[in-house]
Amino acid sequence: MKNYLNFKTALICLIVAFLLVFNVWPMCYLIFRSFFGENGFTFEAIKRIYTYPLNWNALRNTLVTATLSMIFGVMIAFPLAWLVGRTDLYGRKFFRTLFVMTYMVPPYVGAMAWLRLLNPRVGTLNVFIKNLLGLAENPFNIYTIGGLVWVLTTFYYPYAFITISRAMEKMDPSLEEASKISGASPLKTVLTVTFPIMLPSIVAAGLLVFVSAASCYGIPSIIGAPGNIDTVTTRIIDYVYVGSAEGLTDATTLAVSLMVIANIVLYVSTFICGNRQYITVSGKSTRPNIVELGKWRWPLTILVSLFALIVVVIPFATVAMTSVTKNLGKALSSTNFTTRYWNILLTRKGILDTAKNSLISASVAATAGIIISCVMAWLLTRTKAKGRQIPDFLITLGSGTPSVVIALALIMTMSGRFGINIYNTLTIMIVAYMVKYLLMGMRTVVSAMSQIHPSLEEAALISGAEWQRGFKDVTLPLIAPSVVAGWFLIFMPSFYELTMSTLLYSTDTKTIGYELFTYQTYHSQQTASAIATGILIMVVIVNWLLNKLTKGEFSI
Amino acid sequence: MKKLMAVMAILLVACMASAADKPKITIYTSMYEDVIEAMTKTLHEKFPDYDVEFFYGGTGTLQAKIAAERDTKKLGCDMLMVADPSYALELKDAGLLHAYKSKEADNLALEYDPEGYWYPVRNLNMILAYNPEQFKKEELPQSFKDFAYNPAMKNVISMPNPLTAGTALVAISALKDKYGYEYFDKLAENKVMVESGSVALTKLETGECKIIMILEESVLKKREEEDSELEVIYPTDGTISVPSPIMTIKDEWSAHSNAKICEELTDWFLSPEGQQYIVKGWMHSVLKNPPAIPYDSIATDQIVKNSMPVSWENCLRDRTELRTNFEERVKNKQ
Repeated sequence: MKNYLNFKTALICLIVAFLLVFNVWPMCYLIFRSFFGENGFTFEAIKRIYTYPLNWNALRNTLVTATLSMIFGVMIAFPLAWLVGRTDLYGRKFFRTLFVMTYMVPPYVGAMAWLRLLNPRVGTLNVFIKNLLGLAENPFNIYTIGGLVWVLTTFYYPYAFITISRAMEKMDPSLEEASKISGASPLKTVLTVTFPIMLPSIVAAGLLVFVSAASCYGIPSIIGAPGNIDTVTTRIIDYVYVGSAEGLTDATTLAVSLMVIANIVLYVSTFICGNRQYITVSGKSTRPNIVELGKWRWPLTILVSLFALIVVVIPFATVAMTSVTKNLGKALSSTNFTTRYWNILLTRKGILDTAKNSLISASVAATAGIIISCVMAWLLTRTKAKGRQIPDFLITLGSGTPSVVIALALIMTMSGRFGINIYNTLTIMIVAYMVKYLLMGMRTVVSAMSQIHPSLEEAALISGAEWQRGFKDVTLPLIAPSVVAGWFLIFMPSFYELTMSTLLYSTDTKTIGYELFTYQTYHSQQTASAIATGILIMVVIVNWLLNKLTKGEFSI
Repeated sequence: MKKLMAVMAILLVACMASAADKPKITIYTSMYEDVIEAMTKTLHEKFPDYDVEFFYGGTGTLQAKIAAERDTKKLGCDMLMVADPSYALELKDAGLLHAYKSKEADNLALEYDPEGYWYPVRNLNMILAYNPEQFKKEELPQSFKDFAYNPAMKNVISMPNPLTAGTALVAISALKDKYGYEYFDKLAENKVMVESGSVALTKLETGECKIIMILEESVLKKREEEDSELEVIYPTDGTISVPSPIMTIKDEWSAHSNAKICEELTDWFLSPEGQQYIVKGWMHSVLKNPPAIPYDSIATDQIVKNSMPVSWENCLRDRTELRTNFEERVKNKQ
């Protein structure tokens, strides 16, 4: 028993040590830097940054867009997760894959598609709607706060969708059955039973959306720039691009505010659902029952299809079509069709090398990340080990930190001055991705684990199995789909990560996300679209393979 | 899971083992990837004993990277080919550069550092561009002044971001010297969209923008590679010419401490042969007798003759002021 305790403590220490070195210490150094300029302690930077009205505008924009995206994202994700996971909606499996797919595409590519569709002058969809309804003016303007919220929501609701539907699939159906037997309608059951049980997952989901939207750079830089809407992240990058030591200090000083906001939100929410314990998967449950939609089956299917069409199919199709269009000012036709950009994608050494780099760094980050996630899930939900909240706190802290801050902090502390030199290597990328995306994996595994009743493991222990054996034979199979999903939740954003890679890459370690962004903004949008479509095709194939190999057990 | 990790480990090792032990030179540059690719091939043939690698980034990105690296007392590069000449002045003052008298210096048509800290290596030109398939040239501004001052151009103009692009910073510096900060206010009144090259070109193609301020090379590249109809307007108040420098980092600061090799490379880049690749990359040569002119462009000396004067000292001194003013007058206004 003593060994067992030591083992837990050792695990905690190991994870904490990793986070202290690569997360806490760089951040502290960064905060230290914002107070200590060239000439010792000073409030100079703080004063300069927080008395500048443009920064306050940016701060307000970030709060407004992130909050709205969070609210809308959850409002979309919860009903969708329920419809797709728990009802007899037509084509539910297909829809699920489709919605998760949005997560697998770099958000800035989506931003580009929406910019083409909804720009106020000649946006394709805008013009189409105008002609359809006989309006005098184009109805939408994407270069507004509303436009920003729209794109952020449509690209970040999958975070919520994934989190909520995982939990929903694991829910004990007997509670809902009880409600039904007592005479409640399906809708009432959802509102009075399903929703409250799901609340911790919903809050966790909302948080993911908030933090991701608040620290997103790609979308505001593309949608916000023409309308001159700044967010904190775009301001930080602007400061970084000043390219001087003072610029860096300003950037880090401003970044501190984003860190503070993200952490307040995280802690308020932990406080809200911290005391609620729901154990909803019991030993007896088999599969969640399916709610019959009855006369609503068709109308709801049509509604979901329409949503999928607007949010997924149209932007993806726009990107795919862009990749084979020669002149973007003209419609796609046989004379305006070219495979040139696909040739570039498949032959250019630069692109293939970056894809390899990203594949390696994202795989390693995801694998190491998911191992930590499983350990953390076990520590958090199954043990009373002292200090188990510390790594949880630190992981949350890392994800709440804007990517650009993590990257800056790592450059300053990990390039040899303090004994560790991993700058210009893939390792620094892997570390950065883990610090940033570990939370995604951890929340997924923890929420799956928290819904499995310990009695199942206790049964294994009583039957004489070691705890490791119990974990392997009982818990792991139950959470395996979540583990796979969690792996992809870390892998995909790491694979096409942009903001941190922008600062961390070197000649040998350029990543596909950065390559895609430079093609998108500087060289050729069509090549960028070809890369993005290529990533999407790869994801579809992997998903299909996973599905086939595991006979439908696992899918993304 | 174990198998997966084994595969990962093998991949990782394979990846790290691929480095050769030839002397290495890393060049940070803001040149196009296509140009880099062509140039890398040639350099490998010309200098088989060296391992020359380019590293692409916008001038702003590279400056940020260098700023972070300076903090660590070691840069990640041996040479620099960024767009903004004033950055060369800054690095020279900071004592980061290696001085070298190139034997090609006498052939240069443009000003270079007399002590040899930097040389111009390519001539970039900020111009206006439009799409003849959508709009008539006569109806559009022919000068930078009209571009900002003509109220008919409200909501339909775009320009690069001076915060990220070195050439754009030079452009606003020149325009401010000529027209004062009022020029920025006029840009704001016309609601100029501030964004990078490829995004702006797409807007020109789709007709979202009528006219854009952009580097000549981006338009020429599109014309040659994609048979695009987009056309350049050489502004009547002067093209903004940016003689982008090449510089070598001092051995104690550089990534591989191979300054002697960098000297050889500098000579090659300034030679007629090296300049040919610059011209192939749609940029203008810096030689008195240019080997050629870029595809579909006009004679280099004609551009230089009609260019707007730029004071590099002003550009360096006022950099922060220019950026702040641009932010407050253009970005914050709208």
